[in-house]
Amino acid sequence: MALLEAEQVVMRFGGVVALDNASVDVDPGEVTGLIGPNGAGKTTLFNVVTGLLPPTSGTVKFDGVDITRAGVSRRSQMGIARTFQKLEAFNTLSAFDNVRVAVEKNHRAKWKHQRVNDVAHEMLGKVGLDDVADVTVGTLPTGSARLVELARALACRPRVLLLDEPSSGLNEEETSSIGQLLLELVADKENDLAVLLVEHDMSFVMGVCARIHVLDFGKIIAVGTPFEVQGNEAVRAAYLGGDEFRGAYAGMDE
Amino acid sequence: MIFGVRHSVAVATALGTLAAVIIAVFTWKGAQVTSETFLVTTYIGLFLGALWAMYATGLVVVYTTTGVFNFAQGAIGVFAAFFYWELHVNRGWHSILALFVVVGLFAPALGVVLDIVIMRRLRTASLVVQLMVTVAIMVLLLSVVGDIWEADTARRVPYLFGINNGIDLGPSQLPWHRLIVFVVAIAIAVAMRYLLRRTRIGTAMRAVVDNRELAALNGARPNVVSSTSWALGSMLGALGGILIAPELGLDPATLNNVVIIAFAAAAFGALKNLPMAVIGAMLIGLLRAHTVAWLDFGSDFRFAHLSIAPLLLLFVVIALPQARLEVGRLVHHLRRHERFTKWWEGLIGCGVIILLAVAFSGGWLDFGIWDPGAWGSRELNSANEAMALALIGLSLVPLIGWAGQINFAPLAFAGFGAFVYLKVIGGGWVTFLGLDRLGLDPQDIRDIDNGYWILLVGLLCAPLGALVALPAARLRGLYLALMTMAFAQAMSLIFFPNPWVMPIIGTGRQFPHIELFGVTFNDRRGFFLLLMCVFAVVVYALVMLRRSRYGRRWMAINDSQAAAATLGVPVVWTKVVVYALSAVIAGIAGVFWATVSGNVDSVQGFDLLIGFNIVLLVAAAGVSIPVAGIFLIFIPLFTGLGHRLEDSGNVDFLVTLLDIMTTYGPGMLVLGMVFNPRGAIFEMGRGFSPILPWRSDARAEIAAENAQKREPEIGELGIERPFTPEEVIAIDRRLGILDEVVPKEGYGAARS
Repeated sequence: MALLEAEQVVMRFGGVVALDNASVDVDPGEVTGLIGPNGAGKTTLFNVVTGLLPPTSGTVKFDGVDITRAGVSRRSQMGIARTFQKLEAFNTLSAFDNVRVAVEKNHRAKWKHQRVNDVAHEMLGKVGLDDVADVTVGTLPTGSARLVELARALACRPRVLLLDEPSSGLNEEETSSIGQLLLELVADKENDLAVLLVEHDMSFVMGVCARIHVLDFGKIIAVGTPFEVQGNEAVRAAYLGGDEFRGAYAGMDE
Repeated sequence: MIFGVRHSVAVATALGTLAAVIIAVFTWKGAQVTSETFLVTTYIGLFLGALWAMYATGLVVVYTTTGVFNFAQGAIGVFAAFFYWELHVNRGWHSILALFVVVGLFAPALGVVLDIVIMRRLRTASLVVQLMVTVAIMVLLLSVVGDIWEADTARRVPYLFGINNGIDLGPSQLPWHRLIVFVVAIAIAVAMRYLLRRTRIGTAMRAVVDNRELAALNGARPNVVSSTSWALGSMLGALGGILIAPELGLDPATLNNVVIIAFAAAAFGALKNLPMAVIGAMLIGLLRAHTVAWLDFGSDFRFAHLSIAPLLLLFVVIALPQARLEVGRLVHHLRRHERFTKWWEGLIGCGVIILLAVAFSGGWLDFGIWDPGAWGSRELNSANEAMALALIGLSLVPLIGWAGQINFAPLAFAGFGAFVYLKVIGGGWVTFLGLDRLGLDPQDIRDIDNGYWILLVGLLCAPLGALVALPAARLRGLYLALMTMAFAQAMSLIFFPNPWVMPIIGTGRQFPHIELFGVTFNDRRGFFLLLMCVFAVVVYALVMLRRSRYGRRWMAINDSQAAAATLGVPVVWTKVVVYALSAVIAGIAGVFWATVSGNVDSVQGFDLLIGFNIVLLVAAAGVSIPVAGIFLIFIPLFTGLGHRLEDSGNVDFLVTLLDIMTTYGPGMLVLGMVFNPRGAIFEMGRGFSPILPWRSDARAEIAAENAQKREPEIGELGIERPFTPEEVIAIDRRLGILDEVVPKEGYGAARS
């Protein structure tokens, strides 16, 4: 059984159907990808899973428990952590304090000041932000602020980590080091971590994901390994908007 | 869901009905209800409802189209009513002409000016700044009215067409005035609904508030739209004020408080639904009319019928669904480094405060303003009042300054603290709780130094703070602001005027002098020192709190509630805790505040405007900084100085100047927040801190800023003309792709 399961989720905003019976499952020990064109409903699905949006219908299960009605912070305490596509870092706090908020909330209360600080520094180190620990996040470049969000999410000791476009704002080198970090995290059996990754950078997605779900107009149109998804007709049509472009797309497989 | 109705709505309706029935049963006058009297009462209720609907319509229109909730809506009405009186009654203009000049010319002009000068700049401001600025405009407008039309003459605005002409309704008459008000109010609401939903400009208006840039790309003109909204809102406020003035009389405070009813009505429509807001207004009108007609609250609760709107607001807030935590609304403007005061800096600061206090009150410090020996009782009294207010102001720092939640009721919390203190030191609770059977005597309580009880008072205030915050904490911040305002209003109408709460004792002191460690602080100098010490201790506690995990968490909530929640921070609970803490500080401050003069005016003392002034001054000073509380010394200090100058004679203009500063100061200072949301003390600190030897970081920051200033403005992306080499460097630097070493001759030369 998968660690995180979203089953038949429907999300309607007035007349707009953002998610139409979308089902996604995420297993520990691997990175699962969630891709799809702009407006496909990827971020909406994240919001439903983390509890920011109550779905119109459908269920969300975590570790076999139905959490569809659980509050946001409750889900976080159960082990669901995320980052945001549009930045939601604590802009007035330093990068270090951003992470400390998460550490303090997710580790035992009797932890001494020093131990909290050590863990916070460790998390910042993981994403490579040691140098800017004391800089106010509002003044950091977007890419770095995104990494602060990642460090913050890691500090929650998550069992499922939802990442919403972590590579945007990063250069190639930084992107590949994030990919490396993700692979290390899921490979570590002690963590027992599952990652759900929304990403537009296809080489990044294909490189780190074990399985990929493809979302289009709120529907899951394909699930499979990167190789299977790449060869899927429906996926190509969704990305390119019709059969007539297929010829032009041929080179992408490499 | 129960029968297709949301749970919260069902609960709120049940609670509200239950409360109404219980109150009705206990206060039934026993007057005979005939169909005629019932009908007449209903007419009056509908008419009152129509008046409030007009205000509520203005609020909803401005809120849906600009995103700013206008606390000054009532004050615009007050100003318009006085202006109309001036033209029509004082100068003898015809009523139609006067009405046209005020509502058709003056009001839209005022709205447009407000929009251009202030409101447009609030679009991306935080909720705290938005609300503070509209409250400041309210206070300023009321001050202007008070200055132009002094309260010494009695004024009355006549009914349109007189009170005696109208339709005969059997037992009574329905005057044309009231009929017209009813028809006009409904017509306006319908017209506005039509305008917003069915016309091009209305669609543009609603689009602009959702996404200004996108709407502009599609051909809407955001500035025209927002000016139109403000002009419309201002006209509706003005019309409401002129039409309601004959009923309520021309009193600024009474007329202004109408706005709270309009708030409740607007909340009934979730602030955006016009028809529901009108229904809410009608509901309040009917409740009010029937309450006055059939119920009798007795003299102890003589203002209770006025508190229907605050109570309705409470039930509406319970009924509203939980707000979604908003994502992607983060205003990404660069903020400067938030530096936390170090613990030893806090100690030094507090030490300086206490030393200054000793020096001042001892008369050892002479600034040439006053003769040191003569720091007499009046100056000390002013100083004590100031420090007590400053202490109340401190309660707002963690709440507004750090957690970004608004509280317009600091004075109500302070008053509650004073009340609890009075009851605790009275010792009556010993008998009440049956502790006398355990050998405890009320006299034993009275024998203990009363100062020790102050901490207990603080603790007892915490549940009240939590209780006020609880229903609204799960909603958006604006509802918390409205709730605290409604709470302040309800307390000042129902709770404080009750003689049991603040018994009036002949000529003596209601609140005894504070005793601590065997010392009675009965002379003003000693009390001043005590207050300064308490102030310093609270400031220090706050400084340390901000450095702690709690302070961090509160500031995190202020930045992004959604992110905080996904990190496991229980957002609602955290907000409730901050309110409780704020109530503790305010409650403790309230004891000192009441002890300064020894008596509290239970009716005038809790006027909403006084509470607003406290909030405004703290906000203007910089509400995230604990010492901001000290800004409150402006009020009593200027008053005190004014007295002194008056005594010495020959300085009339100075007295006037001080008077103006006391009246307009808080409002004007807050308007400064439009341009500098961090407040005055923050700016002062920026100027001052580079001098301190250990603040090399502050010096570096100033240097970096100066360097940035020297960089050329990039302009319109080279569309008008090619970039100069300096601009290319500036662009590269902003993009972060410039090497540290810049060739002396610039990029242009290096490339070519």
